[in-house]
Amino acid sequence: MHSFMDKLARLFALLGGTVLSVLIVMTVASIAGRSINTILNSDFMQTNMTGFSDLLLSSGVGSIYGGFELVEASMAFVIFAFIPLCQLQGGHASVDIFTDVLPKRINVILRTVVEIIFAAVVVLIAWQLMQGMLSKLRTGQTTLLLQFPAWWPYAFSLTGAVASAIIAVYVAAMRILEVFTGQSVLPDDMEVDH
Amino acid sequence: MSDIAIGLLSFPALLVLIFLRVPIGLAMFLAGLVGLIVVTGDTSFPFARLKSETFTTFSNYSLSIIPMFLLMGHFATLGGMSTALFKAAESFLGHRRGGVAMAAVGACAGFGAICGSSLATAATMSRVALPELRRYGYSGGFSTATLAAGGTLGILIPPSVVLVIYAILTEQNIAKLFLAAFIPGILAAAGYMLTISIYVRMNPGSAGTKPRVPFAERFRALFAVWPVLVVFAAVVGGIYQGWFTPTEGAAVGAFGTGVIAFLSGGLTRKTLGESFYVTARATAMIFFIVLGAAFYNGFLALTQLPQETAAWVGASGYSPWTVLIIILVFYLLLGCLMDSLSMILLTIPIFWPVVQELDFNLVSMLELQSARLDQLISDGKDIPAAALAEAQRLLASGQELTRDMTRELGLRGVTDGALNRVNIERTAIWFGILVLIVVEVGLITPPVGMNLFVINAMDRKTPMVATYRAVMYFVTSDLVRVVLLVAFPVVTLILLPI
Repeated sequence: MHSFMDKLARLFALLGGTVLSVLIVMTVASIAGRSINTILNSDFMQTNMTGFSDLLLSSGVGSIYGGFELVEASMAFVIFAFIPLCQLQGGHASVDIFTDVLPKRINVILRTVVEIIFAAVVVLIAWQLMQGMLSKLRTGQTTLLLQFPAWWPYAFSLTGAVASAIIAVYVAAMRILEVFTGQSVLPDDMEVDH
Repeated sequence: MSDIAIGLLSFPALLVLIFLRVPIGLAMFLAGLVGLIVVTGDTSFPFARLKSETFTTFSNYSLSIIPMFLLMGHFATLGGMSTALFKAAESFLGHRRGGVAMAAVGACAGFGAICGSSLATAATMSRVALPELRRYGYSGGFSTATLAAGGTLGILIPPSVVLVIYAILTEQNIAKLFLAAFIPGILAAAGYMLTISIYVRMNPGSAGTKPRVPFAERFRALFAVWPVLVVFAAVVGGIYQGWFTPTEGAAVGAFGTGVIAFLSGGLTRKTLGESFYVTARATAMIFFIVLGAAFYNGFLALTQLPQETAAWVGASGYSPWTVLIIILVFYLLLGCLMDSLSMILLTIPIFWPVVQELDFNLVSMLELQSARLDQLISDGKDIPAAALAEAQRLLASGQELTRDMTRELGLRGVTDGALNRVNIERTAIWFGILVLIVVEVGLITPPVGMNLFVINAMDRKTPMVATYRAVMYFVTSDLVRVVLLVAFPVVTLILLPI
């Protein structure tokens, strides 16, 4: 079970990382295209190398149309895809100076309660995101430049949100199990490297 | 109960949650959710917000800088840039008293220029510099304290993740904030080096010696640093010159460091996967806090608390400086308990409306008129010669131009409203840098400075108390710098044209 959850979380992290890398390369390509376009349109190129410049310009070299929109639309997926791993490995920032002085038993219960609430919130977020997607689907909105349906990026994000919800529920369930059995199921206080 | 009372009550509730080890993002989210339900009377409004708010927060174009910068920092490490920086700094400084520690600080500053996170800088440089420090007989506490302090340079020297968040919260220009952070960042590095040289004189047994390195070798080491310089120049220079947006700059940086890491053989399929995991965890953590803060701040705005607080402070008649100092002290204290990003997200929506109303007179009408006139001249505009000579004479003698004169000169943007806007912008930038520094001091202040933990965990033989004792020297250096920057706003603002 744990190895399945671990694989799921890592899969989404890799997917998110891949999409992030594609966005990075696309942005760089867009900047490069824009710079070349500016150079070709410059006075120097237009007077001295008119034919060459116009040939290249006619091939459509320039910034990527709607690149900004693609970054925004895909970034939501990237972030949602990054959450499962953080959730599974307990990577969220918290302050533990005060709880350190409490007995271990209370800490265990406290952590379990927090994980249950966390799971409820993540499920709520995924659920409402789906509602948001459905309302975008109903209105048939499209984006400004590229004219793709506005619900698409919601749908992609939803996959990450659902994976996060599954993992959050799993973590909460395992914590409850730990309280009752007194054995640790999840690796204890997984080391977070920043 | 009035809405304001509910808003005020949410603070202690939030703090209790946080101190019960509820993750900070979740705590803010819950406080915002419950607060909205209490204020509006049912769940329909907060739930309706959730339909689009998570998506719009996560797809914010400016925020997409964050995962890119995080990935860039990781690629930089894979590309061996942290090692190259330390080797270069060590070959120049290593033979001095405390020189290896100074080199670590210098390398942290260099790494900070291509990494936007304090913890990442501290952790990365520790891996490189700790073994060297110990090898040359530097005491454990001194070594860990040096690296913890050096790590804070990661966030002070642009690019900086926390500054991006601050810029979004206060609707300021990211490029200008980066530029303003530059001199304070250099001052910080210089201050730490001075601290080191004082420390080794007061504690003679704390540092060993290292032989001099021949000059040929020094320059060879320096030459190995060129990728760092290229990436930094491309990213920060490009953003500042307006060649690309900060987000595009982050993409260029991540791409550049990625290529360098690949060429140096550090980036393989396995390490690429690892970089994705590390970036994923850190990004998810940050964005969850951002989401929680957005929700909580939405609730606070509805209660009118920020506006009322600002109005109350404005009416109280305290001097702007008193208010500023109280806020900074508050950050120093809170910084001992909380991480910098959470603190900024939690407090700036309250403090910024307050600070915005304070008048620090950072720019006078005279300075504004001179700056605009210079601009007019450098733009090559046609100005009546007699009027110009008269205006320059007046300005030089410290007199403001009259409305008639500015009209005759064709001078624009010199109204009282424009002056007010310029002052607010400069206050925002100056205040942002000050806040950034004081929250970073929190990262190295005992008992719970996060950098201290990260580094102490890497050097288990050194007791935490030894780190605490040595780090107080660096905290002192930070405090001196804060006083300096508060007293002389010009140090922060000098690089920014009016």
